Amino acid sequence: MNPIAPIVHPTALTLHPTEPLLQVAGLAVSYGRIRAVDGIDLTVEPGRIVSLVGSNGAGKTTTLMALSGLLPLAAGRIRFAGEDITTLAPELRVARGIAHVPERRRVFAGMSVRENLVLGAYSRGDAVDIASDLERMVALFPRLGERMAQLAGTLSGGEQQMLAIARGLMSRPSLLIMDEPTMGLAPQMIDLILDTVLEIRKQGMTVLLVEQNAVEAMRLSDHVYIMRLGRIVHEDSGANIDPERVKSFYLGADS
Amino acid sequence: MDYLGQLLANGLVLGAIYALAAVAFTLVYGVVRLVNFAFGELFMLGAFLTASLMLPEVRLIGMVVPMPGFSLPVAAAGAILLTGALGVLVDRIAYRPLRNAPRLAPLITSIAVSVVLQSLAQTVWGAEELRFPEFHLATLPPVVLFDSIYLSVMDLVVMATALAAMLGLSAFIARSSLGRAMRASAEDQMAATLVGIPVNRVVAAAFAIGSGFAALAGLLYAQTYGFAHSSMGFLPGLKALTAAVLGGIGSIPGAALGGLILGLVEALGSGYLPNGTAWKDAISFVLLVGLLYLRPQGLLGKPELNSAGRGSLLGGASEFGAGWLRAAFAKVDGGLARAAAAGPRAALALLAVAILVGLLVPSDYWLRILTMVVIYGMLASGLNVIVGFAGLLDLGFVAFWAVGSYLTSILFVLVLKDQFGVAPADIWWLLYLNLPLAGLLAAGFAVILGTPTLRLRGDYLAIMTLGFGEIVRVVAINWMDLTNGPMGIRGIPAPNLFGIALGSPRAQFFFALALAVLVVFAIARLVRSYVGRAWVAIREDEEAAEAMGVPTARYKLYAYAASGFVGGFVGVFYAHTQQYISPLNFSLFENILLLMLVVLGGLGTFIGPFIGALIWIVFLQLALDLPFVQAYPETRFALLGIVLIVLMVFRPQGLAASARVALTMPGTRPAKAKEAA
Ligand SMILES: Nc1ncnc2c1ncn2[C@@H]1O[C@H](COP(=O)(O)OP(=O)(O)OP(=O)(O)O)[C@@H](O)[C@H]1O
Ligand SMILES: [Mg+2]
Repeated sequence: MNPIAPIVHPTALTLHPTEPLLQVAGLAVSYGRIRAVDGIDLTVEPGRIVSLVGSNGAGKTTTLMALSGLLPLAAGRIRFAGEDITTLAPELRVARGIAHVPERRRVFAGMSVRENLVLGAYSRGDAVDIASDLERMVALFPRLGERMAQLAGTLSGGEQQMLAIARGLMSRPSLLIMDEPTMGLAPQMIDLILDTVLEIRKQGMTVLLVEQNAVEAMRLSDHVYIMRLGRIVHEDSGANIDPERVKSFYLGADS
Repeated sequence: MDYLGQLLANGLVLGAIYALAAVAFTLVYGVVRLVNFAFGELFMLGAFLTASLMLPEVRLIGMVVPMPGFSLPVAAAGAILLTGALGVLVDRIAYRPLRNAPRLAPLITSIAVSVVLQSLAQTVWGAEELRFPEFHLATLPPVVLFDSIYLSVMDLVVMATALAAMLGLSAFIARSSLGRAMRASAEDQMAATLVGIPVNRVVAAAFAIGSGFAALAGLLYAQTYGFAHSSMGFLPGLKALTAAVLGGIGSIPGAALGGLILGLVEALGSGYLPNGTAWKDAISFVLLVGLLYLRPQGLLGKPELNSAGRGSLLGGASEFGAGWLRAAFAKVDGGLARAAAAGPRAALALLAVAILVGLLVPSDYWLRILTMVVIYGMLASGLNVIVGFAGLLDLGFVAFWAVGSYLTSILFVLVLKDQFGVAPADIWWLLYLNLPLAGLLAAGFAVILGTPTLRLRGDYLAIMTLGFGEIVRVVAINWMDLTNGPMGIRGIPAPNLFGIALGSPRAQFFFALALAVLVVFAIARLVRSYVGRAWVAIREDEEAAEAMGVPTARYKLYAYAASGFVGGFVGVFYAHTQQYISPLNFSLFENILLLMLVVLGGLGTFIGPFIGALIWIVFLQLALDLPFVQAYPETRFALLGIVLIVLMVFRPQGLAASARVALTMPGTRPAKAKEAA
């Protein structure tokens, strides 16, 4: 395979080496009266894979949506690449280098694979040459290359996930946020997706990953945060986490 | 054959105009799922602005203002740009704050925006027609095809412009980056945001383009028929919406197809049907209703659009508003909540106040006004049954009202008096028979009209019921033998009890009050029964209600029937107090007004419709004392529209929302209070 050119946003490279890429302090989000995320702190160092795990309804998706600006914060601050982005509009966060691959993929079903990818580069403006980026995506996911003209809605679940990730990468992010990229996929496909995550990281990408499957997440990640009922209840480096403790966090304190 | 050719040519010209305006509806609906009723008015403004820019001077608000006197193309370009900018402004003020509001809210504001724009246009340009200046191409001799089809040069210009504009737009949507962003936002706003598309700006662009198309259609229409008028956008706006729905709303080729079909059908219908020109407006609505019944997604549309109406029509509160405003509403809410807790006692106290007012108000003038308040309150209550309790946005409610009014008027005047020479005083009891009879007739009618709408949701339901309402109005105007047509029916006797005429304003007020007690009592009983709980379940989430085993179709029909009954019942009394009715009394505007009153007061409450009616009718009278309003009476409607937009943005649930009847879902235990009672 050709050596793949870097797909990393320039901000990642100009960072001061000791400053975290993403720093979240006291983040809280409410839906009406319900507080779904209740004051969490997160730090993502550049070039790492950090994952956020927890049972259903823990507030993982809510946290990610707040990071990319889809939900307003009830409290807290977000710093990204040395800049306070707490109140920045979502589309500007994409331009700053945050790509969010949402839960359930949400590809543009009525558009072709190629159009989905082209839209991924929207934040970079009209003038850029995206042909080389398209090639890079095809190198990463050869199956997308065979289906460029196909409507995204007719892809299989795994292919849609590949497309969603590739669409996110088209913005040349420095931080790739992924919400349950393996949801509903067959084991083989899960391996393929997770291997790709490792591959992308090898090229210098920073990844914030939400996973239901805590064991896989621990294997993959440099750092793991465990979330429960809107709070971070435990964090450690991926290698240090004791699976038994994770299980107890999943099942809740009452067990 | 020659005649056919000419009709087809006329139909093509008209169809091209409808298609352009349909594009406006389709484009905005495609991106934000909003039926922007105000496009009819932007159509009208396009015509006025073009005509004004072409003239050397125009009278605006009574003052002569010099104008540049541009040629048609320059003036048209200016008008399109101005209207496009206005469309963006409207989106910013009236729709964008409501992106996450209940689905009814932006529909109401779009109707309110129409009312505002139309009355402002009437204020600015006056109530008369403005003659559209002649363009030099229009003076060229017509083109003759096959020796028999005459097309003016301007007709060809209209068709060529429409074709070019639509092809250009299609290419823009398909190829350009902004067009792609529009399609992406239309499919999934969240995913579009996540790829970095500024969705709000894309929506604003859709409004700008849509408004520009509406303006283009309007100016071509005015050019073709030679005039501009403040109400000229109403029917073409509805036709364009029909065309958009016909073709499949959200689809640009669909809009073109729908517009052409509508133009052709109208031209052929007016040429070949007996008395076709009179009926041509009904033809398009019949087509609309039939199509929505058979294929709700339209000819080229995708079926899922109909399901966009999912979710509560009116739940949720505003995220906007300053502290003092919230505090003021909190006070209102507290008071209403206490009153609601007092239940029947509060209702009796209110009735006592109404009786006292009826006894003590000395002026006949104000008693008449208060009677109108009660009548409009009752009618709004009837509409509230279907919109507020069952959550079905019905824009055809006036039809039921018309059925009641016409039934009693036809029986009393056209049949008994004119045919048999019976004096109304001898058959005074017939009124009391007519009340329930008209109620039943209207209820039956409502069920017949409701049945084909059962599969439709939200906006489509509104459009279909609107179509029904218009059909009834066109029938009322044109079925001369039955309704006396536009002349209306005169000499309807005042109510009479045992030979004593109840002609005095005070007697009529008490009569109205008695009916109101009946109406509210009946509605309250119904709403508090299992029927009402099923309605609320349907209103909050139809799919969930269905999944829970509520036979939604049956309960929706009950809602139509109940609402129709009230409409017919009150309509009888209305005819006898007015003593004169004509189709003008039952226009779509009346329906919109009633809807506004219900929304103003609070949907799904018993008191809301009366509060809304009281505020509106008293405001109407007080406003008449202002000199500016005396000179420009139509500005009152603009004010109502503005009040409503502000209300929707800051308090979409209506003034008296905290009096909304709290009901448990069917299947759960009924409320404690009810068991104790
Ligand atoms: N739009 C919403 N309105 C109200 N509450 C919501 C909304 N979205 C999420 N919630 C609530 O917020 C909490 C957190 O939800 P969230 O989707 O963030 O969980 P999650 O950790 O991503 O769960 P899962 O693993 O199932 O995806 C849940 O209790 C959920 O019910
Ligand atoms: Mg989630």
